[in-house]
Formats: sequence, C-alpha cells, structure tokens
Amino acid sequence: MNPSTARHSRELMPLLVALFVAILLLFIGGAAQTVILSLLLAYILDPLATALEARGMSRTLAVVVVVLLLSCLVVGAGFILVPVIFEQMQALQSGSTTEQASLAIKEIEVSLKSQLGFLGLGDMDLLGRIREFKTSIGERMFSFLLSDSLSLIIHGVTIPFMMFFFLKDGREMKKALVSMVPNRYFEFTLDLLYKMDTQMGNYLRGQFIDALVFGAMSIIALWILGVNYFVFLGIFAGLANLIPYVGPIAGVIPAAAVAILGSGSLGSAVPVIVAYFALKLIDDFVVVPYVVASSVEMHPVLVLVAIMIGGELFGILGMLLAVPVTGFFKVVLKEGISTYRKYRFT
Amino acid sequence: MTDFRARVFGYRRKHKQDEALRAILERIPIFEGFSQRELAALERFIHRREYLPEEVIIRQDEPGLGMYILQSGEAVVLTGRDEVQLSRLSDGDFFGEVSLLDETPRSATVVAKTHCQILGFFQSDLFGLMERDPRFGVKIVIRVAKIIGDRLRKANQQVLTLNEQLLQATHKSPVTPP
Repeated sequence: MNPSTARHSRELMPLLVALFVAILLLFIGGAAQTVILSLLLAYILDPLATALEARGMSRTLAVVVVVLLLSCLVVGAGFILVPVIFEQMQALQSGSTTEQASLAIKEIEVSLKSQLGFLGLGDMDLLGRIREFKTSIGERMFSFLLSDSLSLIIHGVTIPFMMFFFLKDGREMKKALVSMVPNRYFEFTLDLLYKMDTQMGNYLRGQFIDALVFGAMSIIALWILGVNYFVFLGIFAGLANLIPYVGPIAGVIPAAAVAILGSGSLGSAVPVIVAYFALKLIDDFVVVPYVVASSVEMHPVLVLVAIMIGGELFGILGMLLAVPVTGFFKVVLKEGISTYRKYRFT
Repeated sequence: MTDFRARVFGYRRKHKQDEALRAILERIPIFEGFSQRELAALERFIHRREYLPEEVIIRQDEPGLGMYILQSGEAVVLTGRDEVQLSRLSDGDFFGEVSLLDETPRSATVVAKTHCQILGFFQSDLFGLMERDPRFGVKIVIRVAKIIGDRLRKANQQVLTLNEQLLQATHKSPVTPP
C-alpha cells in the first residue's frame, strides 16, 4: 500500500465507523427513536439556550436553565392535563353511548340498508361495533400506559439526559465529526452542514411551534363547541397537523365522530368540521407564514410514502418523525448536490 | 490535583496546547489585544487541520468559507492558470480573512510546501458567535473590516504610484483610482 492510499484509508476509517454506527442505530429501532427525539428537541431548543448565552450565561448554565424550564413545563402540563386525559379516557373506555346517539346510529343503519340494499347488506350492528371500538381504544390506551409505564419512565429520563448533552456539547460533537473528514472535503462538509443547519433548524422549529399553536386552538374550539374529550382530541389534532395532507383530515374525523356520538345528531359534526376548516385556514394563512420561516418543499407522493414507511417501521411515532427525517434527507441531497458543484472534485 | 488530572486525563498536554494556540492567535492582527477569556472563547471555534507537503489547502475559484492561520510549516500562494507564485507563507501568517465577511470564490490557491499545522476560523462560526456574544462578534468583524480597509488603502496607493509612472511615461491625464 503506497503512503497516499494508506493516508486516505486512515482518514476514511472514522467516516466508515460513523456510517456503521448510523446503520446500527437504524436497525435498533427503539434506541434510534430515543436518539432522534433527543436530537430533535435539542435542535428545537438550541436558540433558547443561545439567547440565554447572549445575555451573559455560560453554555452549561444556559442549558441547565432550558432543561429545568422544559421539565417544569412538562410536569406542570402533566399535573393539569393527565387527570383530564385519564377522566376522558375512562369515559371512553366505559363505552357508554347516549340514548340520542344510539337512535342516531340506528337511523344511519336503517338509511344505509334502504339506500344501499342492492349491495346485500345484512345486520350491520353498527351500535355494537362502535361500542366495541370505543371500549377497545380505551382499553388499549390504559394497557399502553400501564404496561409501557416502565419504558415511558426510561424515556422520560434518557431523553432529557441525552438532550442535555446534545445541547451542551453539540458544537464540540459537530467539530469532532468535521475533524474526521479528509482535507479535500473539509470545507465542502462545513459548507453543507451550515446550510443544512440553517434550513432544517428553521423548518423543525417552525413545525414544532405550529403544532403547539394548532393543538391549543383545537382544544379551545372543541371546548367552546362542547365536544367531549376536547383535550385529548385537541392534542391529537395538533400532533396530526405535523403530518402534511393526511394529518388535518385525521385530526377532524375523531372529533366529528365524538360530536355525533355525544349529541346523537349527524348535524353536530358540521360545526366541528367548519371549526377545523377555519382553524386550518388561520393556520395556513396566519400561523405558518409567521412561524415557519422556510419550508422544505416535498412532493405529496414522497410525503405519503415516507409516512407509510415510518408507520410500518416505528408506528405512530414513526409517522410523526417520517416527515422531518425525509425533509432532512431532501435538504442533504439538494444542498449536497448544489454545494458539490461549486467544488472542483476530481 | 493537577498531577492526577495530568496522569488520568492528559490535562497538562491539553493545557500546553491551549497556551500555544492562544500565543499564535495573539500574534494575528485580527485577534491582537484580545483578553484571555476572549481568546479561550475563540479557541472553541478554531478547527485544527494538518496538511502534507504539496497538499492543496484552498483552491482558486472554489467557495471561500473563512480564514486560515499557518501554525507551523510553509506554504505558497499561487494564482492564475499558470499558477504564478505570489508569495510564500510561514509560521503565524494568515490568509482568506475576506471570506469571513464575503462568500466570493477564493482569489488564489494555497499549497503546503512542508508538513503544515493549520488553524481554520469560518464564517458560519463567526455568525454563531455574533448570535451568542454580539459584542465579541462585532469586535472581530470590525478588526477584519479594518484589515480590509488597510489593504484597500495600500492598493489605492499602489494604483496612484502606477498612475504617476504611467503619466510620466505617456504624458497623458491622470486616471482616478477606485
């Protein structure tokens, strides 16, 4: 092996190790989710730590303050929201359906039978099925919270712990990563990282704030309309709003269904649908232009495929993470190609 | 305590490296007169690179991202297709500082002539520093602007001198310098 080849092999070795670690992370799903979530949170909260640093705090103290603030917020929200969510889930689990709702469901069943009789529909027992479905949702959620409580506690400790170090030592980690890159590709890597950081940072922070605002608006709207389980449904709508195209529809369906079952009239779904439509308009024309500084444009087909793959691999969390992860790879490719063209690599 | 840290963590070696780095930074006009705290803060953004003889450090026409300081070793500055040598750089010399403010392509190629240890300070890090510590960031920007201003004045002086020489040679009216 000549000295030049040896030098290149030596320089490329750390990169191969980093690639191996990345592939390993991808295969051990749970750990990868924890790392990705911690990284995302650190990324979203970095400007807050930076702002505190600009006011004269050391980086460590700024990060400690941010983590403490976040912990207080989560614990405070937990104290307020958890009893409400539990209460609403218990009501959901009991499977109780009002008399009016039972009548409405029976009416729907009769109407379906008369209008779609040619399809040979027999006894559908819609009421029984809906009760069964409601009970099973509640049961699943309870069993998830109880059986996975250990995993939730572990995540509750590991995610803030990892986030703390990503926030505190993120710059040094990036510097150490860049130091492994061979001299010829060093400036290119630095350039690419900076562009990715700017684009992804704006995108992720924007999406996070948008989900918070949409969730809060949904909770208020559903509360005003007197829809049951409004906290639960509002949080769901906020999270679903993170998923383009599918999310807004997925957010309105359960709320409309709960409104119908609660009042017993099909018409009660109308104000819910109108409210969600209005919220989506406010979100698209007022909130998004303010909070999402730069959007990472993605083709609808790409988004849908990414959501399906994310759901297949990691469930609901995978669906939520699919869009930012795809956005990340899109930015890497787009910026990578445009930056690569500026350098005369041979 | 220090001995224990030196044995266990290699603390002393790191400490000596930091002192050497600060001594080099202090000699660079951009960082001249900076306090030890400011130099220590700056250290966190400095990238250390090593180049072998004949390895290209920066290439003409490629994007300029920041400045380089030659910690040790020798390098040459080349320009044009024929790679005409403009100057020779040695310990403590620096180049590419304009790229801290401007993203225009590099105006020359720099090639290592001996084994070189180089320190890099980049625009993205300067922007980050300006967000975290605006006063310190602006201090660096003003120093870079002053150096560029000095160079412009020298360039103007050279244009004037050349203009006078041209005038004497051709007996024509003087041309206004840029």
